[in-house]
Amino acid sequence: MVTRVKKEIYRIATLLLWFGLLLPISGHAEDYSFDLDEFEKKSFSWGGYAEFKWDHNWINQTGTFGLFGFHDNPRTDLDRLTSTIQLDGNYNKGIVDFNWLLQASAQKDQVDAEQNLDIFSAYASIKPAPAVTFEIGKKTYKWGKGYAWNPVSFIDRPKDPSNPEDALEGYIGIGFDLIKSLPGTLKTLALTGALLPVFEDVNDDFGEQNHINLAAKLYLLYRDTDIDFVFFTGDSRSTRYGIDFSKNLASNFEIHGEVAYVPKQRVKSLNSSGILESREIAVSSYLLGLRYLTENDITTILEFYHNDAGYSEAEMDQFFQLVSDANTQYNSTGDDSLFQQAAIISKSGYAKPQVGRNYIYAKVTQKEPFDLLYFTPGITTIINLDDKSYSLSSEAVYTGFTNWELRLRYTRVEGGRFTEHGEKLNESKLEMRVRYYF
Amino acid sequence: MQVKIYPSSLKALFFILLSISLLALTAPGKASALDGTDILLQVDRNLNPETYEMYRKLINIEPDGTKKEFVLYSVKKGQDKMVALFLSPASEKGRSTLRLDDNMWLYIPNVGKPIRITSLQSVVGGVFNNSDILRLDYSAEYDVASITEEGDLYLLELKAKTNTVAYDLLKMQVDKKALVPTTIDCFAASGMLIKTLYYKEPKDFGNGIVRPSVLETDSPLYKGYKSAMVYAKITPKELADEVFSLNYLSRVDELR
Repeated sequence: MVTRVKKEIYRIATLLLWFGLLLPISGHAEDYSFDLDEFEKKSFSWGGYAEFKWDHNWINQTGTFGLFGFHDNPRTDLDRLTSTIQLDGNYNKGIVDFNWLLQASAQKDQVDAEQNLDIFSAYASIKPAPAVTFEIGKKTYKWGKGYAWNPVSFIDRPKDPSNPEDALEGYIGIGFDLIKSLPGTLKTLALTGALLPVFEDVNDDFGEQNHINLAAKLYLLYRDTDIDFVFFTGDSRSTRYGIDFSKNLASNFEIHGEVAYVPKQRVKSLNSSGILESREIAVSSYLLGLRYLTENDITTILEFYHNDAGYSEAEMDQFFQLVSDANTQYNSTGDDSLFQQAAIISKSGYAKPQVGRNYIYAKVTQKEPFDLLYFTPGITTIINLDDKSYSLSSEAVYTGFTNWELRLRYTRVEGGRFTEHGEKLNESKLEMRVRYYF
Repeated sequence: MQVKIYPSSLKALFFILLSISLLALTAPGKASALDGTDILLQVDRNLNPETYEMYRKLINIEPDGTKKEFVLYSVKKGQDKMVALFLSPASEKGRSTLRLDDNMWLYIPNVGKPIRITSLQSVVGGVFNNSDILRLDYSAEYDVASITEEGDLYLLELKAKTNTVAYDLLKMQVDKKALVPTTIDCFAASGMLIKTLYYKEPKDFGNGIVRPSVLETDSPLYKGYKSAMVYAKITPKELADEVFSLNYLSRVDELR
């Protein structure tokens, strides 16, 4: 009897114990456990992403660049698959850090295939104090405040306004960075300097070889405004000066701008006789932009960009006419020598993106519309203000699965004959990108 | 042991002053005599030291219970300087945000340069925006417009000092004993309720810091969604001013 009572007490006690254990758990709406050990700092760290991209291109068969690529093998469309792996890493040893960013990609379409392995950056930093850094190796500098264009980015490769957030390959150099924080209206003062050697196999695509160039940037945070004074001199490229700024006017409104001045810049363009001529001119380029956020989470980025060194409509027409003549000649005689001549001329600048003088860039995105978390649809347009041609992209980005990013984008270009966008390679493009971060 | 180092007269004076201070803070029905600004300053100090490092986890919870988590390392100095670095997930790792007064910047490693952001944007999605993630002391951004009492709570109405502050008006409920917030309603200048913050689950973080370890939020703008910040470590730390600059943003991890 006593044993039974004991067993019963034990059973009730066990139930009460379980109830007691469960009670606090059921009382919490959420599990807020947080194990800090897995985030302990390590001397070696690495990460990156793997990306798979498919794009379908509707070829502009009568456009300049459509004729360039496919005059001997006309196509209406082209499917391309691209896979990319990007690896970044850091190794820390005392006051020295080693950083690297590598990218490998393979691309295949119905016409061509190619593989690339690039070292975007690989440099060592020595930091004797928080305010002092010395760096040696290959790195990007990314100077300027513009989102789509950066006229003052004197020692970086130009970015692609269609994908302005993509990583860029840097240049090899030696640099330093000094920071001083101050009380008062001038809160921060920072000086960045870099020496860029240009020799055979060292930064040889930067400019004229066998020279060492100097670039410097003085940054001020003055009256809540970012201001940079930028300077470049050397014999690989001509001397140039720049200034940029950025400021928040309200909790949802930012403005920014850049001005660059190059007293002597060599530009190449086709003259009225169809001959490529080179001349030295003083060039100013500038950008004015804003970023505005509405109460319902619509972000607008708007930028106006002017570039004195861009081609005028007449200069663009000369190039388009040359390719048109090349096509007429090829169709009537089979002779592609004019195409070959145009190919050489295109390398002087005509084949680059946004080679005109005046542009508007506008990007409007809405974060998480209709309560769809991590879903961001948007539209982007780049308008050539001189010939009124434009590209228009609509895209949707979803980041709801941890470490995955899915992006669907459709781009269409509009413009008449002999306009920048009217002569592009593609009439339209559908692109699907899946990226996994690790 | 510690008492022995005080001369007896100093010790007596110390306890008298301490008793007077406690009486002043805890005496019921004396809110009108209290200085709301002093209470707000005390709330700030109870939430965290003026200069510290901190680890926290941000959790976005969808209506179906799906969660997305971010882990951040943050440092703050004085009234106007703060930096936060994303440690996880991999897609956000290495991103860092800097706040100097009302100025905010975001550094994305792939982009390679800091860009200015605004306080009402959100770098993580969900209900928390940038000003919640890079929150300075309440007393740095708000003036006490009024103070009343209700049971165990002080009710503070806080008005933004400038129009660049994310929320124009805060209605803050403060626990009288602990002098930490329990609930804060955040309003836009139009009078619209943007979100409500709930401070929960007090925890002893060491170094005399006893404060809520969870901050939850919901918003009528995000019906059914919830976000939470879970604090794991708050430690006083000496920091150079230069740490809080654009040029340092890519190197915040070196502070850990």
